[in-house]
Amino acid sequence: MITVNHLSRVYGETTVVDDVSFSVRPGRTTGFVGANGAGKTTTMRMIMGVLAPSAGEVLWNDAPITAQDRRAFGYMPEERGLYPRSPIGEQLRYFARLHGMSAARATERVDELLEHFSLADRADDILDALSLGNQQRVQIAASLVHEPSALILDEPFSGLDPVAVDTMVDLLAREAADLPLLFSSHQLDLVERLCDDLIVLSAGRVVASGSVEELRSRGADRYRVEFASSDAAWLRDVRGLDVLDVDGTTALVDLEGLDATELTRLVVERAPVVEVARARPPLSEIFREVTR
Amino acid sequence: MSTTDTTPSTPAWRLVAENEVRTVLRRKSFLITTAISVLVIVVGIVAAGYFADRPQDRTVAVVDDPAAQVVESAEQVGQATNDRLTIEVLRVDDTAAAERAVTDGDADAALLSTDPGFEIVGDDGVPSELAGALTAAASTTALQSNAAEAGVDLADLEQGTEVPERLLDANEDDGLGTATGFVFIIVFFLIAISSGMMIAGAVAQEKESRVVEILAATVPIRDLLWGKIAGHTVIAVGQVVLYLAAGALGLAVSGIDAGLERVGGAIAWYVVFFVLGFMALASLWAVAGALASRQQDLQSTTAPAQALLFIPYFAFFFGNSTVQEVVSMSPIVSAMVMPARMAQEAVPLWQTAVAIAGTVVAMVLIIRVAARVYERTLLRTGDKISYREALTMSAD
Repeated sequence: MITVNHLSRVYGETTVVDDVSFSVRPGRTTGFVGANGAGKTTTMRMIMGVLAPSAGEVLWNDAPITAQDRRAFGYMPEERGLYPRSPIGEQLRYFARLHGMSAARATERVDELLEHFSLADRADDILDALSLGNQQRVQIAASLVHEPSALILDEPFSGLDPVAVDTMVDLLAREAADLPLLFSSHQLDLVERLCDDLIVLSAGRVVASGSVEELRSRGADRYRVEFASSDAAWLRDVRGLDVLDVDGTTALVDLEGLDATELTRLVVERAPVVEVARARPPLSEIFREVTR
Repeated sequence: MSTTDTTPSTPAWRLVAENEVRTVLRRKSFLITTAISVLVIVVGIVAAGYFADRPQDRTVAVVDDPAAQVVESAEQVGQATNDRLTIEVLRVDDTAAAERAVTDGDADAALLSTDPGFEIVGDDGVPSELAGALTAAASTTALQSNAAEAGVDLADLEQGTEVPERLLDANEDDGLGTATGFVFIIVFFLIAISSGMMIAGAVAQEKESRVVEILAATVPIRDLLWGKIAGHTVIAVGQVVLYLAAGALGLAVSGIDAGLERVGGAIAWYVVFFVLGFMALASLWAVAGALASRQQDLQSTTAPAQALLFIPYFAFFFGNSTVQEVVSMSPIVSAMVMPARMAQEAVPLWQTAVAIAGTVVAMVLIIRVAARVYERTLLRTGDKISYREALTMSAD
């Protein structure tokens, strides 16, 4: 488990990361979201040790993290980087060995990953000879090549087409299912689809964190009401309700004082009802709310 | 967690060094340059040996016996200073036939009896070594017959005419030492510059391509620096040894006796100095790469390292012996100049010791400072960093 404890980073007068604390648990895909400049990349770089924190600490399995611990992590920096003029197989083997793998195992593992990415026949091509999509795959392979103990991925899906995203999601599910995995992203629909846990950063501070379910239910108590034929507009006049939207026979309401049973009784008495259902707000709305 | 490799893994600096060597050896320009250099060395020495060592077979046309005798003694005279010279006698019937033999190229010259002596006949010129030998032999023959006629013993006459030479400094250089020193400096200079630019270029490329962030997140930055220094030192020393071997091969093939045993000691010292000097310089070149953000910045950031190479270069070729002596004992630059001096003259042991000690101390200091600067600048991109800024930068 990766634990971030009161981490801060100050550049001159500016505090980029401000007293940030959270954990990334094994087997939990943890999304790291926030607007540009919220401090996601800075936090990730401090976790990886390429940037020293101004204050706070990073723990690995409850002990202060060491260089040896980090050597076993997989990292994909925001600014991608590989050797443009080296054959991809060779540089992946080099990375695997830098991470501490034996030469024989590194060779095996690289072959396996390239096979999975359908790049086996390109192993001897230099990176620059590959298409951008394939270069991105090699980048991902570089973070997975040493069978990491944890994964820190900064915007891993940016620049990928939907098919490539699916391939990558499959791969992560296969390779990193049991690992602590922290990834940052702007694509909230993806985060919603993939994440178990979520950390929302705004202006360097954690404004929300927890499991996705928890966060979503923490939003307003919202229901969708659909009548068989009558207009739903009358709900606007009911006390204890905040009507967000009315569209013909359906309405979206937040309960404010009324509870769910009372709402159900109320609408059933009034007109034939098709459905009264709880409506979870989408992540994007939670995101907007907490970062407001 | 997922991998528990129980075998101790290879140290990171060695992996980095191996990767550097692999990358350089894959570069076509490097392989071609090195191959051409080896070829130039071997062919150059063999060609020089061939032209210097070619037997000089000369033929001289003569008509009568006296001339034939002169030619025979001319061969002995000539061989005293030039053991590759042989002179053959070509008997012809008369002067006209002798002249024809010269014009047709059957003989290099003709020696004709005249009264009272001899004349040398050539076509458009007489090879100098032949003319010298014939003239000396002919005049001695004439001198002998004149002396006999006058009733004088030639041996008495020659008494005291020979002036022997006595050298006070037997160490005096005959050109071999100077030539060796020259080669030492040039080879050091060329290899250090080309390897240095490769180091700086490799570091700058890792920054430019941003791969450095993955590397720095994986292994200590110090290991990255050490690996670079080690890898490129291996390559550079390999080049020096290869060039020395090519030189030795060239000498062996051409059979030149270059007196290698006389400069052998200097060559051994050269390799020692090269390793020490190169490692110190290599760390400077690596820093030059770390200060650059793009390849274009290298021109200015590599200036100090280049200057360190130019100083001994100029000191050796343009400085007087005092300047050479001082430079040969100064840290780092001594690596170039000291072995060159050693090839030329006997250098007091204490001076060699000063040069080595100074270079080792400087190397340790430079690598320490370089490691600090490297750690602070490697991950900073966007703009070129000045040396002043790099040295005062806070740890990050």
